[in-house]
Amino acid sequence: MKALLIDTVRCTGCRGCQVACKQWNKRPAEKTEFFGGPGYQNPKDLSKDTWCLVTYNEIEINGRFEWVFGKKQCMHCIEPACASACPVGALEKTPEGPVVYHKGICIGCRYCMLACPFLVPRFEFDSPNPYITKCNMCADRLTMGEIPACAKTCPTAAIEFGERDDMIHEAQRRIAENPSKYLHQIYGLEEAGGTCVLHISSVPFEELGYITDIPKQTLATNVEPAMKAIPAVMVGAALILGVSYKFRNRTRGEEPAARG
Amino acid sequence: MSTEVKGRFGFGSFILFVLVVLGIVLAIYRFATGLASVTNLNQGYPWGLWIGFDILAGIALAAGGFVIAAVVHIFGGEKYHPLVRPAILTAFLGYLMFIGGLLIDLGRPWMIWDMIIFHHHESPMFEVGWCVMLYTTVLFLEFLPVLFERYKMSGAIRAWMNLMPLVAIILLVMFAWFLTHSGTWTVIIAAVLVIFELAVRGGAIRRDVKVPTLLIMAGIIFSTLHQSSLGTLFLMVPHKLSMIWYSPTLPVMFFVSAVMAGLAMIIVESTLSSKFFGRGLELNLLQGIGKGLSWLILIYLAFRGIDLVVRGVGAEVLVMTPQSIAFWIEVVLGLLIPLAILLTPEGIASGRGLFWAGLMVVVGLVVNRLNVAVTGISGGYWPTYYPAWSEIAISVGIVSLGILVYLTLCRNFPIFEEEHSQAAGT
Repeated sequence: MKALLIDTVRCTGCRGCQVACKQWNKRPAEKTEFFGGPGYQNPKDLSKDTWCLVTYNEIEINGRFEWVFGKKQCMHCIEPACASACPVGALEKTPEGPVVYHKGICIGCRYCMLACPFLVPRFEFDSPNPYITKCNMCADRLTMGEIPACAKTCPTAAIEFGERDDMIHEAQRRIAENPSKYLHQIYGLEEAGGTCVLHISSVPFEELGYITDIPKQTLATNVEPAMKAIPAVMVGAALILGVSYKFRNRTRGEEPAARG
Repeated sequence: MSTEVKGRFGFGSFILFVLVVLGIVLAIYRFATGLASVTNLNQGYPWGLWIGFDILAGIALAAGGFVIAAVVHIFGGEKYHPLVRPAILTAFLGYLMFIGGLLIDLGRPWMIWDMIIFHHHESPMFEVGWCVMLYTTVLFLEFLPVLFERYKMSGAIRAWMNLMPLVAIILLVMFAWFLTHSGTWTVIIAAVLVIFELAVRGGAIRRDVKVPTLLIMAGIIFSTLHQSSLGTLFLMVPHKLSMIWYSPTLPVMFFVSAVMAGLAMIIVESTLSSKFFGRGLELNLLQGIGKGLSWLILIYLAFRGIDLVVRGVGAEVLVMTPQSIAFWIEVVLGLLIPLAILLTPEGIASGRGLFWAGLMVVVGLVVNRLNVAVTGISGGYWPTYYPAWSEIAISVGIVSLGILVYLTLCRNFPIFEEEHSQAAGT
């Protein structure tokens, strides 16, 4: 299974990945505007046209303010909550790694958005014919033997692409070789059961605006017991109802079976 | 509602009609321009009032249909028979209203058929979708005798009696297969149902000559699964739903509270329709329902309380936040006060006491479902969602349409007991 490794220490904030993503996926530019709140990036957040976003964070390190850049995109979970949630299988985890969206069968229920712990899927609320949009790890490029556009374009190798296990080892190696520079944590290693986008950073991830209170286990595990119980509930209910009917109070409105 | 003109459409109906038209106009505008034009939904709050009210609350309030059908046709509470038809009609219209609301809420409702073609049976939403389709079908089939009676089609009733068990078996077995993709379970379920029907036809189990028992059973089973599956939907979001409501027992809780609210709805709706049509109130029956309702409130309260304690929820409900206030409204207004009324001898003895207790349970249930779907959900850094006036207007329009259709059908079809006591049927 493939994965992306994002190294915020190496990132210079050039936003080449952001542009490359738009070019490959043919997403139009967005009108930018001033906004309040954390981050100095523009546009402010992921949107239906921005699937990859470099966030600009001014963070106080040893009494000095420094720029630290984060990257927002679909995390391509190993067992994605969005795909578990989708009633028609419009979102699908491919064995190669990407979580892809089959737009043709989506019914627009937006359960994937509710399920996603990383708040990634975007819905085209302003369109009469709306779709869900999100990063697909350039699944089409992968089938051609290419690597995702963002990784391809990154000039400082802050985005690297490869087998997930290799990316984990690479992240661990960088942390081990530079223990004072890196936080000893890989974001995405365990979040929501593990993701195929891994981040390492010099500052705590919540300071970069990452969502950090995400359960460590796959979200679908919470649903499985209830879904597994369905046939048992059906049989149990049928038996209880059948037996109750047989032994009910038949004092009124009852006649013996007339027809066979 | 116009009480001075008994059973006639008056000024109240005119207001309802205007609300329906407003809702339709807004719905057309929504389809022409997208959801953003009429809703305040955003990327952090993809679900809003329509999911909470039209769908979660609407379905729970329609539970009266299967509860009363179970009491009368399965558990031997024949004396409640007069309440069955109005409750089935309410449930049927409730489901149609809810489907209308769903089609407006879905981003791409014209693709709804994909549920039939593309099965992702591990998704709770898939279960919800199929329960809706099949239970609405069952409700329609349960309602058919009313049409047959109205148009004096006695042959059709006989055919209905003979065919319905088979239809019920097919629907249940199909559902079991779609939801499990397990041959073993499908065969087990099919076997149980077929054995039951053979026992009825062979005389080992007495046949109910008025209604096909398997059809009633199918309705109860689909309802049970449907009510609980709406709770299952939210099991996926422990990271977003407040501790106050997130519990692994949500499906069971949704089921119990739906049975409770279904009973309350029967009381409310019987009282209102008896006023509107100027017919006698079935007070002795409603008292029985009220008694059942008080038991269910007790069970649900105990369940809720134990669940909160076991999960260690304390500060969340004691510190003043919008969520904790919403929780206490739900508990005090929707459970404690109605329970107090129902446990007071004067309260349960009077139609007025029953009505207010029932109404409070209904309102409390609506608040509960809105809490799970909206108030309790955290959308991260996105601005907090509040429904837009146009969202409320569309929901109001749907409910108004439901009331108008209900009144029209009650006027023209044999819904109430005094009109169809001689005839056969549900």
